[in-house]
This record gives sequence, C-alpha cells and structure tokens, in this order.
Amino acid sequence: MKRDKAFELIIKAFTLVSVAILGFIIFFIGAESLPAFRYSGLAGFFTNERWNPIGADPVFSILPMVLATIYVSFLAVAIALPIGVGTAVFLSCIARESARRMLKPFIDLMAGLPSVVFGFMGLMVVVGYFEKHFSMSSGESVLAGGIVLAIMILPYIVSTCDTTMAEIMKSHKKTSDSLGVSKWHMIRYLVLPAAKRSIFAGAVLALARGMGETMAVMMVIGNSPLFPRLLGKCETIPALIALEMGGAPVGSLHYHALFAAGLILIIMRFAVSMAVWQIKKGSDF
Amino acid sequence: MDIIMQIEGMGVSYADKTVLSDITVDIYKNSITALIGPSGCGKTTFIKSLNLLVEDEKDGAVKGSILLEGTDARKIPREKLRSKLGMVFQNPAPFPLSIQENMTYAPRYHGVRDKESLGQIAKRKLEVAGLYDEVSHCLDMPARKLSGGQQQRLCIARALTVEPSVLLLDEPCSALDIQNTAKIEAMLKELSRDYSIVIVTHNLAQARRIADYTMFMMSGELVEFGRTSQVFSSPKDERTRQYIEGVFG
Amino acid sequence: MDRRRKYKEIIIWSILSAAITFAVAFFIIGYIMLKGSRTISAEFLLDSPKGFPLGSSGGVYPAIIGSLAFTGVACAVASLLAVSTAVYLKFYCTSRRLYNVIRLVIESTAGMPSIVLGLFGYTLFVLKLGFGVSVLSGGLVLGIMIFPFIEVRVEKRLGEIEQDMLLSSYALGVSRYYTIKRLVLREALADIISSVALAGGFAMGATAPIILTGAVIYAKAPESIMSPAMALSYHLYVLVGEGAPLEYVYGTATVLVMLILAINGAAMLIGRMKRGE
Repeated sequence: MKRDKAFELIIKAFTLVSVAILGFIIFFIGAESLPAFRYSGLAGFFTNERWNPIGADPVFSILPMVLATIYVSFLAVAIALPIGVGTAVFLSCIARESARRMLKPFIDLMAGLPSVVFGFMGLMVVVGYFEKHFSMSSGESVLAGGIVLAIMILPYIVSTCDTTMAEIMKSHKKTSDSLGVSKWHMIRYLVLPAAKRSIFAGAVLALARGMGETMAVMMVIGNSPLFPRLLGKCETIPALIALEMGGAPVGSLHYHALFAAGLILIIMRFAVSMAVWQIKKGSDF
Repeated sequence: MDIIMQIEGMGVSYADKTVLSDITVDIYKNSITALIGPSGCGKTTFIKSLNLLVEDEKDGAVKGSILLEGTDARKIPREKLRSKLGMVFQNPAPFPLSIQENMTYAPRYHGVRDKESLGQIAKRKLEVAGLYDEVSHCLDMPARKLSGGQQQRLCIARALTVEPSVLLLDEPCSALDIQNTAKIEAMLKELSRDYSIVIVTHNLAQARRIADYTMFMMSGELVEFGRTSQVFSSPKDERTRQYIEGVFG
Repeated sequence: MDRRRKYKEIIIWSILSAAITFAVAFFIIGYIMLKGSRTISAEFLLDSPKGFPLGSSGGVYPAIIGSLAFTGVACAVASLLAVSTAVYLKFYCTSRRLYNVIRLVIESTAGMPSIVLGLFGYTLFVLKLGFGVSVLSGGLVLGIMIFPFIEVRVEKRLGEIEQDMLLSSYALGVSRYYTIKRLVLREALADIISSVALAGGFAMGATAPIILTGAVIYAKAPESIMSPAMALSYHLYVLVGEGAPLEYVYGTATVLVMLILAINGAAMLIGRMKRGE
C-alpha cells in the first residue's frame, strides 16, 4: 500500500517537473524578447532598414530573415511535394509487397540522417554544381537552400503519404477491382483524392519542419542578411540565431533581439501547425 | 436461501449520460444468478458497478446502496472489495506471463511470499477450474499459448485465487465453441456450491440450463427478477415474455 | 485515347519520383561511406584531432566519446521524464482539462526549433544555473528536444494495451502500481527501449542545440558531466567551415552516420524481437 502511494507520488513529481520545464521555455523566451520589441517597437522590428546589432545605435529588422525563412521553406516544399507524393504512390500502389518492404527502410534511414550531413553534402554537390555549371561566383543561394531542405523533408512527406495511401489501398482495392477498374484509374480517381487531406497535412508539417531547420540550410545559403533572391545569398532566422548567439553578450540588446527572432520563428511555426490542426479537424477518418 | 448481496436503488452514469437507473435486487448465496437482456441494456455495466470498477473508468459514477454480506460496499477498502468480488470478462484476458505466474500474480500482491504457498494456491484453484490436469506439465508456458477455452478457464481460476465470495462473469462463453461452453457451464455448476455466481449471458438456453435465479434487464432498468423456472415459464412482465419468445433480440 | 495519356503521366510521374528519391538516398549514404571509409582506421577512431587547421590529421576519438556522452545524458533524462509523464497521462490523470493542457505543452515543445532550445539552454543551464558549457548543459537541452518524441510514442504504446487485461488486474484487487510494474512494463518495455534508442539517434545527429551549450571545437574526451566536450556533429560542421582536407571531413561524417545507423538498427531489432516472440 505504501509502495503504491510512493510510486504515484514519484510519477506525479516527474510529470510536474517535465511540464514545468517545458512550459517555462515559452515564457522565458517571451520574457527575454520583450526588451527588443520595446526598443524597436513591434512594427519597427519588421520595418527598420536593416539588421545591425553592433555599434552605438543598433538597428533591428527581422524582415529579410523572415522572408528568407519563408522563401527557402516554401521552395523546399514545392520541390519535395510532387516527388514525395509520387514516391508514396509508387510505394503503396505500384511496388510489390516484397519491394516495398525492402525499400521503405531506406526512407526511414534518410529521415535519420543528421542535418549537418545534408548540409555538408549540399555544399559539396549542390553548391559545387552551381559554381561549376552556372559560373556563379558563389553557389550559395536561396535555391541551394531550397534544394537541400527539400531533400531533407522528402522522407517525411513520403512516410506520411505512404501510410495513408497504404490504408486506402488496403480498405478499397478489392472493391475497386470488383468494379473492373484499372489500377491507374483507381490511383487517379480514388487514392489521390482520398489522400488529399493527408497530403496537404504532410506538406504543411514539412513546411513547419523546414522553417525550424538550422544546420543544413545554414551551410548552403551564404548567410547575408539581405532581402532574399532566388540566386542570391540570404539568411534564415535559425541561421541568424546560430551564428550570432555566441557573439551577443548576455543582457545586451543584441541578445534580446535574438530571443525576439526566436519568438517570431516559434509563432510562424505555430501558425503553420494551426493550419494542420484545422485540416485535421475537418477530416473524418 | 441466504442473501449475500443487497442492491437498492442503484444508478450508474458516465459523465451526464445515465446508463442504469434504480436497480433493486438481491443476490442469493451459493447460487447462480443469470442476467439476461438485449444488447446495450446495461448488463455489463451492472456487474462492473457491483465491484465499483465503474468508478475507476473515466467519468463513471455509481449511486444507490450496495451491501455485501451486510456491509456497505463503499465502506470496504477498494482492494478488499475487489478481492471479494471476482470478475471474468468476455474475451479471455490472460496476462502476458506464464500460466503459473498468472495464478500467483494476485496472491503475491496480497502478501503471500513463499514459493510453496504460492504453488499450492495455484494448484488448488487450477483443480477447481478443472484445468490442472491439462496444464500441470507446462505451468511455465506463456498463458497466451493456451486455446481460447483453456484461457477462459484460466481466467476463472485466476479470479478464484483471491478467495472471492462472489464471482461476476460477463458472457464468459460467447467467444467459445460448444464443447468449451459445456465444460465451463459444468464447472460453474460445481463452483456454485461454494461461490455465489452472477453471470451475464445473451444465451437464453444457457440461463435456463445453469441459473437458479434470473434477472431480465432492458434499457438500463431491471424489468423482472425471480427463480429461473418461474421467469421462463410464467414471466410477470409482458416485455420479459416477449424477449424470451424472441420477439426482439 | 485521352484517358490512357492521363494514366501514362501518372505512371511516369510516380516511377520517376521514386527513382529520384531512392537515387538521392542511396547516393548520399553511399557516397559518404565510400569516400569516408578510406579515412577510417584505428588511428582515426582512437586519436585526437591534430594539425592545422585542427582536424587536418589525427582522429576523432574525443568527438566520438563526446557524442556518446551528450546522447547518453539526453536519453537518460528524457526517458525518465517522458515515460513517467506518459504513465501519468494514461493511468493517473483523471481531469480532461489537465490532460489537454499537458498535451498542449508537449506539442508546443515538439514544435520548437532546436536552435531556439539551444538559446534557451544557453541562458538557463550554462549561465543562470551555472553548469557552464558542459556535457550536462548540452545533454539537458538535447533531452528537452527528444522528450516529446519519446513521450508520444510511449503514450501511444501504453494506449494499445488491452483494456480487459488492465480491468482483470484491477478486478483482482491489485493496485495500479503493481499492475504497471508487472504487466504494463513487461508488455511495453521493448517498444519503450526502441523509442528511446531512436530518439538517441536523433539526438546524436543534432548540432544546433549543443553549439553553445556543450560542444567545443577542441577538448579532450570528457572526464565528467561538467566538462565541455567535442561532438561528431559539431566537429563535422567546424571542419567544413575551416576548409579542412576533405578526407577527414568525409571520415567524420561516416563515423557519425554509422553510429546513428547502428543505434537505429538496434532500435528496430529490439522492436522486432519482441513482436516475433
């Protein structure tokens, strides 16, 4: 009896500690961001001319970084989505069971690779290719970031869509066949439409993931806080934080501005996740 | 006949939904009471409220009076209450342990430590359930490897290890074939000499075969209660008669 | 026939996509392993980085130990807390409101970019709590990062346990603690371990959270939980940045990838072993 009460207490304590720490994070970030917003003004933080944290009169504008983050992420999803969905169709509808069982682990494997490795390979292959074949002075660009990020989020899109499509196949293939309809017709008119919600949700989730990605993107985009252009250098918010984190003295305006940047990133991700939640609510699976 | 449980005005609800209303009935000692009625009428909920298992479920609440051997069930410490009212579910639910470990699971919790005693308890209860001869040579085998009928008898034997006064069974034979059903019915008839049994069943013939008393429930209410022979041959309530004659199922 | 053309497009599209995907996957893994395996030797694995810029010769031993240390701390902390939380939510939490609040907090953390967690960890663990740049600080941040991953999986597994079995146990008069200890954990242990291992692989590859909280450019293999340490992921990043000779970069990448594959492989094996039983 005593042991039961003790166990219950321990479990509750651990849960409390976990939730307290996790809950604390968002408050902490919010609190540490305030000084920066107070300094630049909420609107000003977005509309000032540039990001210059050093010097007597620091100026903070997060706009180029916000745009870069959005640009690179959307580009990545635009590239990865068709390929990912197509691969999922292949795995769930076309490949034989044995082939599927053999190939799926490679998708999971890809998902497990660390982002530094993607960044490294991106630098070697993608940036190198750009510099060689497009005679760019520097291959580091939004485009490079988009491609590398696309490769990174590809396995997640494939996984999500494949799971849903496999379910659909399992539930409805027999019925479809008994109507005398070809497999391609089923894919075009049953599987894809039925998976629409899941595909969209997968895309949006991948988008959120892409926005938070630091290393891989950082290594191939050049990191100049300019307004992003497809073939030009840019700097995403995660890259900004990672690169300037070490150089900002604690308690300085710069330090607070970095927290503010982090907060904005969190809000952006949250907005994207809310979209997913709304989609899920609307679906009846 | 002695009465072992008195239930008065019992009502059960989950959140705002009322599932059982105003049930008053006596359970007689060392006899078999069958609980019959159409699906969804609340039979399972009824027996789950006797041992107050309902209150462990989300948003479950039981009101009314439940007396076990004269004492208010709510005044008895929950674990003691549970050990006095053994319970067996519809789908055999053996623990993912060996047969022996399934049997010693509860005694071990309630304080029996030494191997000898545990072994004795396991053996005795397996014998009572008529299962010992079939499994004595493989007590260390995972219980899940037994056949469905054997698993269910194991669950009954396991419920007996806590020395209950009352055994509550929720359609124990519905997942079994005729042979196993017959074995279990025979076992229950034997057990009823020492235990009071309440059995939920949708099989009217089964109720007729083994039950001394029968309760007929509908839509959360107790419609009729009495000796089985009387309920089946001359039911007092029109609805009872209709159900027995198969007007509705 | 117009229909046939549409179908042809679908076939081409899906096969082409799959080809691209798997080609990329095989290429990345294969290319790295190929180029890196040449560098891997006993010396590479057991020696410290040397040369100028650092890492141009020598080995990655301190980084291997460091990575293992960071991951170890992260897994130990996260598994303890996450499993407890999952057990609480599934077995002890009675209020629907509280459940939703806790789920919300966990979901929000899952959505937090790892660099922001690093920033948080830097301020809280390194500075305010005075742990300094250390295996502990880095491990704690990584632990926060993988906590939702483990909790969600464990909670799902706990939910898959047969309700009747649990009710049978309670019906025997046995307490929740006893039920959990002797039934639930036995059923779910393999999946719990497998989830923790997968999370470990995830933590080992993470760079952003440990940049300022634990990983340093050069250090000896960590002697205590309070020492700073090198990490394979960060070392890889540093080597790339300073333009170190490519063989060493590939070598480092290979060691990192192989370690992660080993951990993930072990996780899958454990999961499969239990199911096969």
